[in-house]
Amino acid sequence: METKNTGNVCEEQVFDTIFKANSKTVFNYIYYKFGNEEKAHDAVQEAFVKLWENCAKVSPEKAKSFVYTVANNLYLNVIKAEKVRLKYADKTLKVTHESPEFLLEEEEFKQKLNRALDSLPENQRTTFLLNRIDGKKYAEIAEMEGVSVKAIEKRMHLALKSLREKIEGI
Amino acid sequence: MQENHLAKWLNNDLTEAELAAFKKSDEYASYERIAAASGQLKAPDFNADEALMAIKNQRTLQDTKVVQLHPFKKFLRIAAVAAVIIFGSYFYLNTLNENIVTQYAETKEVILPDKSKVQLNADSELSFSERKWNKERNVELKGEAFFKVAKGKRFTVATEAGTVAVLGTQFNVENREGFFEVTCFEGLVIVSFEGKETKLPAGTSFMVIDGTIIESPKSKLLQPSWLNNESTFKSVPLKYVLDEFQRQHNITVETQGVDLEQLFTGTFSNTDREIALKSISAPSQIKFKFEGSKVLFYVDKNP
Repeated sequence: METKNTGNVCEEQVFDTIFKANSKTVFNYIYYKFGNEEKAHDAVQEAFVKLWENCAKVSPEKAKSFVYTVANNLYLNVIKAEKVRLKYADKTLKVTHESPEFLLEEEEFKQKLNRALDSLPENQRTTFLLNRIDGKKYAEIAEMEGVSVKAIEKRMHLALKSLREKIEGI
Repeated sequence: MQENHLAKWLNNDLTEAELAAFKKSDEYASYERIAAASGQLKAPDFNADEALMAIKNQRTLQDTKVVQLHPFKKFLRIAAVAAVIIFGSYFYLNTLNENIVTQYAETKEVILPDKSKVQLNADSELSFSERKWNKERNVELKGEAFFKVAKGKRFTVATEAGTVAVLGTQFNVENREGFFEVTCFEGLVIVSFEGKETKLPAGTSFMVIDGTIIESPKSKLLQPSWLNNESTFKSVPLKYVLDEFQRQHNITVETQGVDLEQLFTGTFSNTDREIALKSISAPSQIKFKFEGSKVLFYVDKNP
């Protein structure tokens, strides 16, 4: 995942590489937090414009954490209690040999999962989705969130636990 | 079972034994399903290229040069500085004293603000403050000048050697190097010299040569002789006479074997150089000759 960037962030090419490697994750990261695509777009915009403005001061190795910090700080003051309703891209373009009942049940389960995810605390949801969707390692998430790996493991554990409880109605 | 074992399980960090135990548990199937289903999830589409373009557009907007809307700002700045300098120097020059200077062989008449008249002899300098004139009638003098002071408040002439104070009169002040002379022609003049005050009635003189006060005889003149283009001396060392000659005729004087301390009494013309030279050399029994622009006084060994 780590792109080896030599040279200056102010160089167009280096900047573009950093952008392509990280912009999607920044977008997702903010989206998982707030469930708001517009905010996520703005965060990407803001973070990378800031990176460009400070390109002389930020080394390519530090650029990644720089953009996450900016994106994170951007919504520090946003009320976290906002009701989140995440949407996911449609992935049902697969040929199945499953029975209609099974598919229906599967669809039902997905909806339950989505609702359960929406009701998770923001930090658990973000951590869980970064791992499940973006395939981020716990260490990477820890770096993005600015907490220890252990804390991320804890969040994952709690997220899984409460997802099961919510889906099964315990 | 390890702490946060669910997280470890997702990360394949469980030991085989732990994994086996976990698989046997009731909730394993549910977790397996959640993990599988969540792995199928996909975040909304994000077009990185589009977003990059947007940022680059914004960047160009930000990089746009700012055009100064006040092209006259620079000019105004210069104008302000110039105004400060002009007003500053105007006020500064205004507070400066009036200064009148005469060169060699030059005399000048100065009318003071109260119509007092000052005749300035050659190589002299007079300065006074026009601004303060109504408060105090003070002038500073270097060299020689004849004063006709209008009646009024105390009038003071300050020189390096001493000060002369009057109320309204006519008098002459001369202050050259080592030589200070005040002559009163009308009224009463008070001379302060080294802390002592001397009152000079009309027709008397006060003379100091090299720090010593010298009694000088009464003068019958109504005004100093230099006003009539003559320089008059009574028992004055020759060196001061030659200095005055130099000033009046704008010519460099050199001497050879001449006793400069001998006293000279007499008058020389300030206009005719030949007659003046004769007037000085004859009574002093010395000779003179021109050497280019200089004149040399010497003692003739073989009379």
